[in-house]
Amino acid sequence: MRRKTTLTGSAALMLFLFCGYSWAQESHVGNLSGNEKRGRALYERYCIFCHGQYGDGRGESAPYLDPKPRDFTKAVFKCRSTPSGSLPLDSDLYDTISRGVHDSGMPSWKPLLRQERVDLIAYIKTFSSAFQEEKPGAPVEIPPEPPSSAESIQRGAQVFEKMNCWSCHGKDGRGHGPSASTLTDSKGYPITPFDFTSGSRFKCGETDRDMFRDLITGLDGTPMPSFASAMTTDQKWDVVHYLRSLSIHGTHKQLAPISQ
Amino acid sequence: MEALTLTRIGIRLLALGILLTGVQPAFGIPAFARKNGLPCSACHEAWPMLNNFGQTFKDNGYQLGNGHDAPIYQEPAYWPIMFRINTSWHRESNNRRAEDTIPGNASSGQVERAVTTSGFDLSSLDIVTAGTLSKNISFFVQPFINSGSSSVAQAWARLDDLGGSRWLNLKMGKFELDELISQERILTLSDTGGSYFNYFFTPLGDNNVFEGIGATQLGVELSGHSENDYRRYSVSVLGSNNGQTGLPSNSSYDVYTNLNQAFEVPHLGMQRVGVYGYFGQSPTYFQTSGGRPIPGTGTGNRSFYRVGAYGQWYVGKFDFQTFYMHGQDNVFLGNSVPANQPASLPLGAAAPTWNGGFVESHYDYNPRLILIGKYELIRMSQQANPGIRSNAGNLDAWTVGYRWYPIMNPRAGLAWVQEYGRVLNAGAAPLSGKDDSSSSFLMGFDFDF
Amino acid sequence: MKSKFFFPLACALAGLALSMWGLAGWASPADTPLSVKGTVKFVGAAPKPSRIDMSQDPLCAKLHSTPATTEDVVVGGDGGLANVVIYVSDGLTSHDFQPPTQPAVLEQKGCQYNPHVLALQANQKLNVVNGDDTTHNIHPTPNNNREWNMTQPHGMPLEQTFAREEIAIPVKCNIHPWMKGYIAVFKHPYFAVTDKSGSFELKDLPPGAYTITAWQEKLGSQTQKITVSAGEAKTLDFAFKQ
Repeated sequence: MRRKTTLTGSAALMLFLFCGYSWAQESHVGNLSGNEKRGRALYERYCIFCHGQYGDGRGESAPYLDPKPRDFTKAVFKCRSTPSGSLPLDSDLYDTISRGVHDSGMPSWKPLLRQERVDLIAYIKTFSSAFQEEKPGAPVEIPPEPPSSAESIQRGAQVFEKMNCWSCHGKDGRGHGPSASTLTDSKGYPITPFDFTSGSRFKCGETDRDMFRDLITGLDGTPMPSFASAMTTDQKWDVVHYLRSLSIHGTHKQLAPISQ
Repeated sequence: MEALTLTRIGIRLLALGILLTGVQPAFGIPAFARKNGLPCSACHEAWPMLNNFGQTFKDNGYQLGNGHDAPIYQEPAYWPIMFRINTSWHRESNNRRAEDTIPGNASSGQVERAVTTSGFDLSSLDIVTAGTLSKNISFFVQPFINSGSSSVAQAWARLDDLGGSRWLNLKMGKFELDELISQERILTLSDTGGSYFNYFFTPLGDNNVFEGIGATQLGVELSGHSENDYRRYSVSVLGSNNGQTGLPSNSSYDVYTNLNQAFEVPHLGMQRVGVYGYFGQSPTYFQTSGGRPIPGTGTGNRSFYRVGAYGQWYVGKFDFQTFYMHGQDNVFLGNSVPANQPASLPLGAAAPTWNGGFVESHYDYNPRLILIGKYELIRMSQQANPGIRSNAGNLDAWTVGYRWYPIMNPRAGLAWVQEYGRVLNAGAAPLSGKDDSSSSFLMGFDFDF
Repeated sequence: MKSKFFFPLACALAGLALSMWGLAGWASPADTPLSVKGTVKFVGAAPKPSRIDMSQDPLCAKLHSTPATTEDVVVGGDGGLANVVIYVSDGLTSHDFQPPTQPAVLEQKGCQYNPHVLALQANQKLNVVNGDDTTHNIHPTPNNNREWNMTQPHGMPLEQTFAREEIAIPVKCNIHPWMKGYIAVFKHPYFAVTDKSGSFELKDLPPGAYTITAWQEKLGSQTQKITVSAGEAKTLDFAFKQ
């Protein structure tokens, strides 16, 4: 009985607070703060035709795009520095907007001012209540990379085999593994695994550190899982070195990272 | 007082004709929106005027850089073609037109009268095909069709990112000069407001074949830019026959260069400053046969230049474009005298020199409504012929207007335009040599697909 | 005049309302557990399950002497329908339930999920176990919960929770595309999943009028109303057909 009154009492208080206090979404990247009202004007100029008026990825252009534009209402993002299942940091969203998403309709928005990109993030976060209800997880730690070597590449190949990476990415890394044709993203659209022989950019960054981070965070919303606890740190670096060795550009050529 | 000869009237009418027919309507390119799924407003502050994202896309060779730029990623049915035309009602008025005193009677003498005309009209039709031929090779072809005649306004191919560097891009063909405040992407359409006079100015009595930096030219251009397009440069070598195809008129080449730098100002927006220079030579006479000039034999080259600075300023929802030009033509060009007849120069002849500029301001209410105000002036600082009044050829022009875009989607565009402008030409009245003023009012649809 | 009586009267009414509300929660004596039992049957000829081809991963194939079969409709010998989630969908007056401390367990066994349909409470720990000699990834695709996707080699411990009610979350393994399961998450503890014979039991229900829903992954949902009172044992049966 006491518990029930405390419960209703606190519920009433929370309701009062929630309705009486209007919440303005903000974002913070570096020393810049973003404002959702400015972000909204920018969204309606640049983003709305793909990502839609409600941020659900159903803009006018969306039926003609593959892959589909991100549905912000789900708050599930591929490119993060936080664990699988967690919200992204503001800086993760900033990096994605700035870098664009290779092999998709999402261009690099670097020609926009830094402030404009930070404002856009504040507005994008308003599309899902998850950003108000939860906090992003702690960003993953990326230790220094040991140098690549033939032995590291060999070990990486063995981890690639044991972790069943080949079932999607194929034994040769070309993306034609036995499960590849069955893969769908979490919206149900067909999705293809990355072809490591192409040497092209990854969706979430081009450097070895980005690859390492992707192995820990996984790409949420896609079949690419997190290997956070499945591999040791050394094993992850070995896999990174092995995957680089598959590229037609020769061993261990890194594409020049796009500057911020 | 200037002695009026048929030559002088003819040159002025020719200049006016070139002005009106050579000035093509500018363009936004829905073919790019269709290809990439982006709306017009992503690249254009208000089409056809570019914002920084659109300028970067253009400087990258019409590539977004997301791996899908090469045509192989498009459906086979996609064609990178667009068309644009304006339909309008407009009213033109000029306060000093030369007319026969008695209509139909050529020997009745002439008087100057004000003339006003109005009615429905069509602009010339712009058809543009542009985009990528493959990764890092871009192209642009624009046939120009107006009242039954046709030519090629632009046609060029460009090798982008030579050596993998965005600082090296090589364009060859007939192209618009690298200008950030672009005649091709001007927001106003009327007879008085539809061009930047500074881009096409030739002093009275000058026979320089060079029309101005607003005309498309034949040549090669090397250009480059930083990743976010904040720093840009271009150097072009151009043929000196003002973009006319066929036999070159003379064996000299012109050079044009443009350097600019942009920077962010906190709370205000992006600002950009730049300098440019066009340095060239034009022929002053031709070899003749039986007294008639032989095409392709222009000679007696004499030099000219156009230099200056410009800026693009963003202050919240306002943006301003400022432009300054200092121009000079050689004394022989300025007096229309062949270089092999120096004795024909009038006493006290000099190289005509002038300064000019404009300020164009916009209020970007939202991506679908832009208000425009522009003021332009040109001031002669040295006339070619001392007999000409010192302010002859001076010009003041202003235009106000707005563009409203009822639809803006990744397929096509429509704008409703209204504008009003006035031009005052000092000493340009055909008979009296008094000041000549014109005004235009235009309203209509500007649409492209 | 009115103001003199208003405050004490308001307090008395509030107190009366609260005590009636509180008493309702106290009405059921704690020493009489009530349960609803029942069976879910499949009416008509049972659909024949298809065989699963596990040859793409020899480590899976060798775990099955006869090929495994699909589990979307599993009908027992006497027509009992397995893997149906039975739960209270309406009528609960209390809404504050702590999740049990005992974790729910989802096993990847023979490259299939065991159980095929798992039900647990919101914020109850879920232990995912990989007893197979091959690496799986476990990938729930919820609508009302956070989506995550974790690789799990043999023996690696994995623990997760779901914060919100959702019936039901599809679970898949991208490495082994035939693997499909469901996790149903509830705010309250009054749910059950039918066994091979189609039987279920909802335990410890307080007396009251309830709507009970039966959910099957392919055949949809059905509801029935029931009133449970002290000293009465209730049975409830459902019948699904193709």
